[in-house]
Amino acid sequence: MSDAPQDSTPSKNLHGDLWQKVSKDLREELGSATFDLWLSKFWIKEILHTEVVLMAPGSMYAIWVEENFENAILDSLRKHIPNCSGVCFEVVSTTPNQSPADFEKEETFVDPLVDVSTPTASSSSKKRAVHETIDEDELLKRGRSAGLVEIHRFENFVVGDNSQLASAAAKAVSEKPGSTYQPLFFHSACGLGKTHLLHAIGWESLRLRPKSKIIFVTAEKFANDYIDAIQKNNLSKFRNKYRKADLLLIDDVQFLGRKEGLQREFFHTFNSLSDSRKQIVLASDCPASEINELEDRLVSRFQWGLSVELHRPGFETRAAILRRKRDDWAMDVSDDLINLIVERVQGNVRLLEGALIRVAMVAAMSDSTLTIPELEETLADIAGNEEISQVGVREVQEAVAEHYDLEPEILRGKKRTARVAEARQVAMYLSRELTELSLVEIASGFGKDHGTVIYAVKKIKSRLSSSNSLRSSVELIRRRLVRDRAGSGAARQGASRASGASLRKSTEPQFGDDLRFSSDSETLA
Amino acid sequence: MKFEIEKDVFVEALSQVQNVVSSRSTLPVLSNVLIEADDQGLTLSTTDMDVSITRKVAAKVSEAGVTTLPVRKLVSIVREMIGGDISIDVSEEHTATLSAGPSVFKIMGMPKDDFPELAQFGDDAKEFTLDQVLLRGALRKTSYAISTDETRYVLNGVNCLIGDGLLCLVATDGRRLAMVEQDLEFPGGENFSAIIPTKAVLELQRGILKDEGEVKVTFTSNQAAFEVADTRLISKLIEGNYPNFRQVIPQSSNHRVTVSRDLLLDAVKRVGLLANEKTNSIKFTFRENVIDITSNSPDVGEANEQLDVKYDGPEMSLAFNPDFVMAPLKNLHQDEVYIDLIDGNSPGVIKIDEPFLYVIMPMRVAS
Repeated sequence: MSDAPQDSTPSKNLHGDLWQKVSKDLREELGSATFDLWLSKFWIKEILHTEVVLMAPGSMYAIWVEENFENAILDSLRKHIPNCSGVCFEVVSTTPNQSPADFEKEETFVDPLVDVSTPTASSSSKKRAVHETIDEDELLKRGRSAGLVEIHRFENFVVGDNSQLASAAAKAVSEKPGSTYQPLFFHSACGLGKTHLLHAIGWESLRLRPKSKIIFVTAEKFANDYIDAIQKNNLSKFRNKYRKADLLLIDDVQFLGRKEGLQREFFHTFNSLSDSRKQIVLASDCPASEINELEDRLVSRFQWGLSVELHRPGFETRAAILRRKRDDWAMDVSDDLINLIVERVQGNVRLLEGALIRVAMVAAMSDSTLTIPELEETLADIAGNEEISQVGVREVQEAVAEHYDLEPEILRGKKRTARVAEARQVAMYLSRELTELSLVEIASGFGKDHGTVIYAVKKIKSRLSSSNSLRSSVELIRRRLVRDRAGSGAARQGASRASGASLRKSTEPQFGDDLRFSSDSETLA
Repeated sequence: MKFEIEKDVFVEALSQVQNVVSSRSTLPVLSNVLIEADDQGLTLSTTDMDVSITRKVAAKVSEAGVTTLPVRKLVSIVREMIGGDISIDVSEEHTATLSAGPSVFKIMGMPKDDFPELAQFGDDAKEFTLDQVLLRGALRKTSYAISTDETRYVLNGVNCLIGDGLLCLVATDGRRLAMVEQDLEFPGGENFSAIIPTKAVLELQRGILKDEGEVKVTFTSNQAAFEVADTRLISKLIEGNYPNFRQVIPQSSNHRVTVSRDLLLDAVKRVGLLANEKTNSIKFTFRENVIDITSNSPDVGEANEQLDVKYDGPEMSLAFNPDFVMAPLKNLHQDEVYIDLIDGNSPGVIKIDEPFLYVIMPMRVAS
């Protein structure tokens, strides 16, 4: 916003008019005694995006009015500026007798009486996009100062069927920020490329629009900045920084969970950016609706644009990622060895890279080429980790029982009421999907024979396509199981199978949980 | 270091200093009490880096010395020991041996080196002498209105203003404001303002200002000391300027309600049980010589109570947060309180016959 063309409209008159209208409402609403006592000496200093900055004649006025009348003022402002997102108060610091006329406006002016989403800001940024180019050095310099990491660019991102949708959305957003998907929300287990895509969007936007202001932060950094600002009492500086970004990339937004004050601040930041059509991209390790104690209004905003899950990469993608890494790092590892690593290590990309580095090192130290047993030994502990965290029938039973609010023993028992029977069948179905166990092994976990399991799997499969509630239950339990396992450090066999399954399903439109298109949904570029 | 001390005296002195010690301190030595023994007796000190308390107590010291011992353990042991006198012997390695009657305890202490130096007051300090009862009363009448919102840290304490023949204590959280303004001549005549943080205010009320008599108050620009007989509390002050609170005190009011404090407190307590859960408010309707106090919580229930008062103004209704009404009533002791009103939208002011006022904002309730 800061480099948008300066508007010379005499703003203070407009602000004066607006405040007069608001004053009239407030006087009616609060009574003239109250208004005269406290509010009569306030005036509108400026309007930043959609937030109105009121000047208070003294700090006590500011505190008292904010505590007691903030909502009343906001209600009244909204009558005149429908998308007004908040008021903040500043205190006259110089002589108390200074009149509003003495304050000259320096910030870019946004006409409060016109819908702020008019294309003044975005059209000017588009203009720049066409005309300007940037050399690589300058690009690197600007990217680094925005907090971007060099290796995380689109060129280095291996697109597989696990991440096709996500990377297409990321590219679309880089090309048309603020208009395509607002916000774009990535979620996945760790090490699957969320952060990489965030950085890549940053780099690409910078390349296309070198002057745009891009901020990449983790939610934790955002929180620390906020706390700092409170401590040093310069919230307005903090707000200027974040609310004037053209592209805000926030990683690990699940960190916002349970932090009310921070959520409130973030809510206003979000509104102010989205009202002025600035792009926001978020990444989280779980879907917005599952972030712990996240205010509903934030959840609904996160789900507003496009929410995409990154899945675990399949065999080919994993191999492609490793080959790319090998070439980047100039390692001497044959394709055969890479295929072997990919077969043995099924987890996230970080795990794969670790395995590759280890294999490369062992290969470099031994004279002859690595044999398969040697490779297995090298990777023993990584593969071992995966074994330990494997989900078994028992874990599935516990998760299902918890979901249906039953004791796990009942699933292993003989009770056959409708509810228990359904839970049992779901547990059998998920055991089949998520574990590597044979039908007989699964059946024995339930004290039944394998025919029962076959029947249960078939039954659930057929009901999945017709019953929405069953489908969402199964997805919820599956996700919980997959995430617990991912959270415990590694992922294994069943994971790729499970995510493969959910990927297939997520492309079916009725699986709306994974895919949320914005109202004016456009097709992906 | 070696000394003998009467058990009850020791327990009392230790309990007085132990309150300051925070249960989760960052430095281990801050869980300890600093014990200095010399021929005058013992000096016990504790601190949490913001507030510290020092207490002198008589003891038979046979060998002078300095050590620090974990204060909570020490209090609970001493409290349980049998016998009138306890003798304590602290070795060079800071192991204390406590013996009384049949029991012997050994507890590990720490050297004094890690214990933070207590603040010294230089020549620029300003000294005042106040009446303990007066200061205690004034703190009690104001401290409940201290803001707990840490983003407004200047409000996290009681503002104490001295000068122009007045002592003024004030606390506010932006929704209500409590103030005691007392005529009081101070020799020296210099004006002074300080913000005393919540913790120090609580400690002063709890353990320092217990009796009649005087308290010596010393202020510098960033700390304050309160000294009563053998006890001294030192606290950092909140830095920053307290806002000009007089801006929010209504200068005039139109109607006065005179009401019994007890009856009003009890009625608000009862009706408040069904306060509207969304707005946390109850409604006061003032009519001739009556207040109707009503609450209505959708899906829960409603309550109403009538209270006889002295009032001859027009009928008006205001909604208040019941906790905000009860807080001053609980901390006053007068039989009668006055509620000054302007109109149905303006703040109410609770007053008594002594120098005190409490501004309370009505809540906006959709009618």
